[in-house]
Amino acid sequence: MTLTVFADRMSQPSRAIIIFCKVNGIDFEEVRIDLAKRQQLTPQFQEITPMKKVPAIVDGRFKLFESHAILIYLACSFPGIADHWYPADLFLRAKIHSVLDWHHSNLRSGAAGYVLNSTLGPALGLPLNPEAAAKSEKLLSASLGKIESFWLKGRGRFLLGSTQPSIADLSLVCEIMQLELVDEKDRERILGPHKRVMKWVADTKNATSPHFDQVHSVLLKLKEKLQSERAVGETSQNVLPSKL
Amino acid sequence: MELKVYCDRMSQPSRAILIFCKANNAEFEEITVEIGKGQHRTPEFAEVNPMKQVPAVIHGDFKLFESHAILIYLASTIPGVADHWYPADVRERAKVHSVLDWHHTNLRRGSELRCVSRKGLAMVVESHVYRFGYLFNTVFAVVFGMPGDPKAAAEGEKLLSASLARIESLWLQGGPFLLGNSKPTIADLALACEVTQLEVADQNGHDRIMKPHTKIVKWIKDVKSATAPHFEEIHAAIRSAREPLKKLKAQAAHKSE
Repeated sequence: MTLTVFADRMSQPSRAIIIFCKVNGIDFEEVRIDLAKRQQLTPQFQEITPMKKVPAIVDGRFKLFESHAILIYLACSFPGIADHWYPADLFLRAKIHSVLDWHHSNLRSGAAGYVLNSTLGPALGLPLNPEAAAKSEKLLSASLGKIESFWLKGRGRFLLGSTQPSIADLSLVCEIMQLELVDEKDRERILGPHKRVMKWVADTKNATSPHFDQVHSVLLKLKEKLQSERAVGETSQNVLPSKL
Repeated sequence: MELKVYCDRMSQPSRAILIFCKANNAEFEEITVEIGKGQHRTPEFAEVNPMKQVPAVIHGDFKLFESHAILIYLASTIPGVADHWYPADVRERAKVHSVLDWHHTNLRRGSELRCVSRKGLAMVVESHVYRFGYLFNTVFAVVFGMPGDPKAAAEGEKLLSASLARIESLWLQGGPFLLGNSKPTIADLALACEVTQLEVADQNGHDRIMKPHTKIVKWIKDVKSATAPHFEEIHAAIRSAREPLKKLKAQAAHKSE
């Protein structure tokens, strides 16, 4: 019985699941569902998940979607996964659920909204929307502030004051990594004030090395491409007035 | 250990937790935090939940917020809770998590409305309920002194209807409860309390939206009977809110004339 993970490494929850599997030595097959080619909308993929979204998994005959539910399932059903990823202790577990639920309507909402409306929209056939981007940025900045002042306030390096990462660290850090795609100065403006968050991102990266960087390489490649496009755009803008 | 539940019965996740506690004979103290009076923004409540939202619980010296996390925690710690509410089986449990996660970004997308343009969202995520969108523009906008936008309400209603249809076709197959189960889980409670929030809207709006969704109507009825008499009792608050809301709406309409 093998585990199949349907994912696109451009999607942050997809990356969290792939990294989790690799770090924990889970044997799995990765099937790429290319979002840019709209492969999530095919009838074949609908057989896997009616929601037409990645990630999704099939384990034997068992199908599951929603990334947090998948992370919990993997942590519970594969042998030898260290307790810190999803602790058996009910109180610790409850706190992890609380972070993950909070993530849905705060960090995810802010970060995904910002990246989409400031940068990624055109690649998905949507217009850029500066007004919506500004609103998302507000939620995103407030969320980063809460992570810093509340979730990272303990003595440990990870969320909830833990000394080792949980599935919540992985899920939230992969979300923040999506900001690599936006313009350097925008990213600096948003992340710059949150030194503790940046340190935690680096700690999570180190704790899951080398898989974290490997799985993020696709994202970083797109980042480079967007950067050079922006550079070209700026040059042509500078040239334009003299032509006029 | 003493359990304190901080909530406002006008809030749908608050109701889900109260009903769960009562249906499972938990001993607890209900502490009302009136959102309408801004009581969730006080420094005292920030001590309970730094996110300044209801519901939240304190169990002994353990503090917890986020309603799904609370439901799971209570199902795991209140003595004698039947397995069907939050099954011990890893796969059954995973399906419950999946419904609850789906709920966050679909049925309960309210907060998302604040930050992503309606159009962008509608194009990116193919179905969502915007229940909040519908209610906001018909009822709450009036209460909070903002102009209700009939066009936005109509759009919200369309998306809401699409999402109800989705619950019917995806989750309500093969048994009276979500995931085809014969008994309710915490996901039934969370989603049902979300759908009943529609009752705050006027009767006509509620009936019009619910009419085509016979499966949803039956499911709500089944959740109600499975948790009787607590479901009805806890929902009395939203029904009694209808009349004053109607008055406010009429006043606002009068003012704008």
